[in-house]
Amino acid sequence: MTKRYSFLIAAILLLAGTTARAQDLEPFVFMPQWTPQAQFAGYYVALEKGFYAEEGLDVRIEHPTETLPVSDRLRNGSCDATTFQMAQALEMLDSDVQLVNILQTSMENAMVIVSRHGEDPTTLRGARISTWRIGFDQIAECMSVERKLDYEWIQAADFLNLFIVGAVDAALAMSYNEYYQILQTGLVEPGQGVFRFSENGFNIQEDGIYMTRENYGRNPGRARRFAQASRKGWEWTAEHPDEALDIVMQYTSQGYIATNRVLQKLMLDEILRLQVAKDSGEREFRLRPEMVEAASELMFKNGMLRRKITMEDLLP
Amino acid sequence: MKLNRFRDSLAMRTSAWVVLGAGLLFLGTLSYLFHRSDIAVKREASNRAVQVLDNTALRVSGIMEDVELAANNLEWLVLRDIDDPEAMVLYANQVVRNNPDLNSCSISFEPYHYPEKGLYYSIFAYRDENDHILWEQEGDESYQYFYKNWYLLPKLLEKPCWTEPYDDAHSDLDRRMGTHMMVSYCRPLYDRNGVFVGSISLDLSLKWLSETISGVKPYPNSYSILVGHGGTYLVHPNPDKLFYQTLFTDGLVKPDPEKYALGQSMRRQEEGMREMKLEGVNCYVYYKPIEITGWSLAIVCPQNDIFASLNRMRRQVGWIMLLGLLLLFPLLALLIHKQLSPLRGLAFEADTIASGDLDHQLEPVERTDEIGMLNQSFRNMQSSLVRHIEDLTAATASRERMERELQIARNIQMAMVPHDFPARKDVDLYASMVPAREVGGDLYDFCFVNGKLFFCLGDVSGKGVPASLLMAVARGMFRILAKQALQPAEIARQINEMSSEENDQMIFVTMFIASIDLQSGTMEFCNCGHNAPVLLSTKGGKPAFLDCKPNMAIGIQQGFAFEGQRIENVKGKPLFLYTDGLNEAENRQKEEFGNEKMLEVLGEDKFVDARTTVEKMCQAVALHVDDAEQSDDLTMLCVKVS
Repeated sequence: MTKRYSFLIAAILLLAGTTARAQDLEPFVFMPQWTPQAQFAGYYVALEKGFYAEEGLDVRIEHPTETLPVSDRLRNGSCDATTFQMAQALEMLDSDVQLVNILQTSMENAMVIVSRHGEDPTTLRGARISTWRIGFDQIAECMSVERKLDYEWIQAADFLNLFIVGAVDAALAMSYNEYYQILQTGLVEPGQGVFRFSENGFNIQEDGIYMTRENYGRNPGRARRFAQASRKGWEWTAEHPDEALDIVMQYTSQGYIATNRVLQKLMLDEILRLQVAKDSGEREFRLRPEMVEAASELMFKNGMLRRKITMEDLLP
Repeated sequence: MKLNRFRDSLAMRTSAWVVLGAGLLFLGTLSYLFHRSDIAVKREASNRAVQVLDNTALRVSGIMEDVELAANNLEWLVLRDIDDPEAMVLYANQVVRNNPDLNSCSISFEPYHYPEKGLYYSIFAYRDENDHILWEQEGDESYQYFYKNWYLLPKLLEKPCWTEPYDDAHSDLDRRMGTHMMVSYCRPLYDRNGVFVGSISLDLSLKWLSETISGVKPYPNSYSILVGHGGTYLVHPNPDKLFYQTLFTDGLVKPDPEKYALGQSMRRQEEGMREMKLEGVNCYVYYKPIEITGWSLAIVCPQNDIFASLNRMRRQVGWIMLLGLLLLFPLLALLIHKQLSPLRGLAFEADTIASGDLDHQLEPVERTDEIGMLNQSFRNMQSSLVRHIEDLTAATASRERMERELQIARNIQMAMVPHDFPARKDVDLYASMVPAREVGGDLYDFCFVNGKLFFCLGDVSGKGVPASLLMAVARGMFRILAKQALQPAEIARQINEMSSEENDQMIFVTMFIASIDLQSGTMEFCNCGHNAPVLLSTKGGKPAFLDCKPNMAIGIQQGFAFEGQRIENVKGKPLFLYTDGLNEAENRQKEEFGNEKMLEVLGEDKFVDARTTVEKMCQAVALHVDDAEQSDDLTMLCVKVS
């Protein structure tokens, strides 16, 4: 009898403790810059595996809608953190939105241009190139100018359709996402007609987690804990890619995303590859000063920035 | 045990071979038959699938052509009233109402085309779930239609076109209802100056397409797939693959050359059939393009389905054949066993006969077939065997009798020639006679008459019994005539006279007849066609043939005058007489012993005595002949008078 009561009391105490802890968690809204996909696997893992909770955070992951882009959500404070490519972050800093990079995940540029008929994209002067509606294409535009290619950028909600029917000559794509969608059509062979920015003097880091400096300044510890748990999420993903993929597929399914497991697996593999620095061979999770400088120089030269942004501008 | 039974039973063995042969024959015939059936079924399946494909493609194309026609008409109306933005509402509603297959229609314009309407002006008319036609003006910051495919494609391509299917969900409900995937026919709008001013888009939900095509089932488990320009599954029985996967998706992680080739062929708008494995199932895939859209329709027919009835029949026939063969084996074995039963009786009776019961009566068989013939042959063989054995018994008895008689004759003949040689100091004489057969034609004899030693050695022509008879006569006559102390030539003459008379058989005898006066040592002799004797020397001289006159052999010519010869003193000179069985003795190589060898043997050693000389010669000739059969009677005589 005594034992049974002890068990009951222990259970009640445990339940009470859990409830108390949930109430104690600090709310945190994180908004990746795109719809659910393996590009954000580390964050889904950190949430599902309780890494955020372990850091005292009650994280809610929301994905952007067409009506309200991430940048606006960050400005109006309806989300605490988001992911940006470095070039996007530089642009925002230049437009006087003070951002802080709290975790850098990408160590290598993923952008590629894939030609529709297998030619070298750098030979297609004046070609129509499909691109995203919400710009990730700053570096690509710089390249077009630098190399005097004079590309005509076609912004489209669904680039693939234009590419398939030949309405564009090439597509700007991410090596982990759109490139596999293109390969999936069977129109081009792997490696055929591909221009990789990372291998042609435009290796600029991409995804990192950003907060407004103001939000960060209110509670730097909270931001650091979020970054810490996110990093842990990515490290776990790298060690358990299959389980991480299962979690990703739950998110894509809930979001009615037009994708499949094969594409998400390929995306995850590529994302994890891009997180490893070429020279050190490690997941460094940090901004590279030389890449910040290169991006800033390139964008400033091409009139995309009014001033040169420095590493210090990005760091907390 | 069983194996022995099988090996020892002709019925079992024959049945097994027949069953095996029949099995192989059936198998070969059925294989060919089923092979031809396979081809026929495959052809039939192909015809069926192609027909279904054609019909489906026609239906799909028909609906799409209607949409294209409606769009053409709409374009004309829109361009006619391009300056009146409100008219667009009317036309958009009208076109949806008049075309029941259409889900919606958009008439959209470039930013600020109608300055009073602002940045966005797009009239969107659609059919709701209650089949009411509703409309709204689309376009705001959250829905910037300029970037939509249905707007961009005709603008970029500068011509009408069908979009690839796209996700046009306005809510999660749309997705759950499956009405979110759309395909649109779009036309660019150009003003009177040829400037692009907007697009019109007529939209079809792919749900109807899926329903139309999914219903097509030439076989129970067959299914249809429709793929877009980029290989995307527009219709597929697995909803997880719909719109989100292509024919090439799986190949990105695990290359599948067959599927890749199919995808490329379908993408190239080819028509055809492929035998391949899809989702782990062996299938025939028949495909055909829907040219109007650039899509490709395929019907996947699992081989198990197509060949189901044939396979069922194949299994049934297989079982029947197996059962038939299993039944055939014991039946056949029984039948053959029964048919062979007279043979077994015959074998038993043959055993009885073989055991010695030659008089055993064979059971008669009332059959005219091979078994009847065999029985008759056995009976014939039995009577022949009995007869033959009787003949053989008689012949054997006769032969044994003859052999016995011959043995007696041999004994008599051997007894005719003296075997006791004189034990005298003045005469050393020794002779030996070995007939080639039981009895021979050689002879020798000697006797002492009036201080003289008479002796002779002869060889009757031929061998065996005839020769032995003349030998007996010749030897008897010599003995009688020698006792009368006649001259050797006279003895020869008298024997010749008697034996040549009525000698129809022309049997003759060669003889050497001689007498030696033991006092004087004078030797008188008559050589009647015989081999010349050899005169040996006791003082180391070489042996030499005695010089003999050429008298005729005895018995050939009656009245022949035999001529005698004389040697004054032969004392101390051994004389060696022999028949041609010595010098003509042959070995296996048909080589004769020869006179030279004979002389060599005689001259080898110093003369010891007559017996030694004869025995040495016997050994020498035996050594030469070795194991060859003795061809002629061999007789030798050696005499020395001291």
